[in-house]
Amino acid sequence: MTKPTRSTSELPAYLSHELRNALACIQQFGSILVDGLAGELSGEQREFVGIMLENASKIRRVLDSTLDGTESSPEERAIRNKRVSKLET
Amino acid sequence: MDSMKILIVDDNADIRLGMHLRLKASQYETFFAADALSGVAEARKHRPDLIILDLGLPAGDGFTVMERLKQVPFLAVIPVIVVSARDGLANQKRALDAGARAFLQKPVNDAELLAVIRQALGVPARRERPECYDLGSV
Repeated sequence: MTKPTRSTSELPAYLSHELRNALACIQQFGSILVDGLAGELSGEQREFVGIMLENASKIRRVLDSTLDGTESSPEERAIRNKRVSKLET
Repeated sequence: MDSMKILIVDDNADIRLGMHLRLKASQYETFFAADALSGVAEARKHRPDLIILDLGLPAGDGFTVMERLKQVPFLAVIPVIVVSARDGLANQKRALDAGARAFLQKPVNDAELLAVIRQALGVPARRERPECYDLGSV
């Protein structure tokens, strides 16, 4: 990975993009293991991969709630925030 | 019946391999490209039934690929599913306006991806075969 030389405003979008790609690989290969596409796992191995996947999901939720929308314009973010506040009320 | 062919255009080799394993287990035949130019070239060569397209690519981007596909009649009809780590809010509408059938933000749930693929291809669910290790061409 290249060392980021980005402005503060670009950093969240960069982080979101890089973390989502890495998470996609973790989730993809974890589910390949759990589903037995690379051979059957023992019960314990399946449990451990399940723990990895659960934690990958947690990171995704954090990303969704903190960094999503960072590439969008202020107008687009305002629309999203309006939708969110509408759902919350 | 011949396998349906899916072209995966993504510059991340790990993503290509993971998708290959998942799609092959669902009995799809896969082809690969790692940049925008070869994405269009591989589509011409293999005439896939569907294209899974990343947006952030070397030598152009996913939007460039969709634009080029639209210029060739036999490529313009191939359904494209965009799978990208880019911000959905800023890119989903643009991707759909450019002709994509769906926009999925990474990380993608496998069941969701397979369902979207089946919907785009108009095929029923396939049973996965848990035995595939052909990693040679990924």
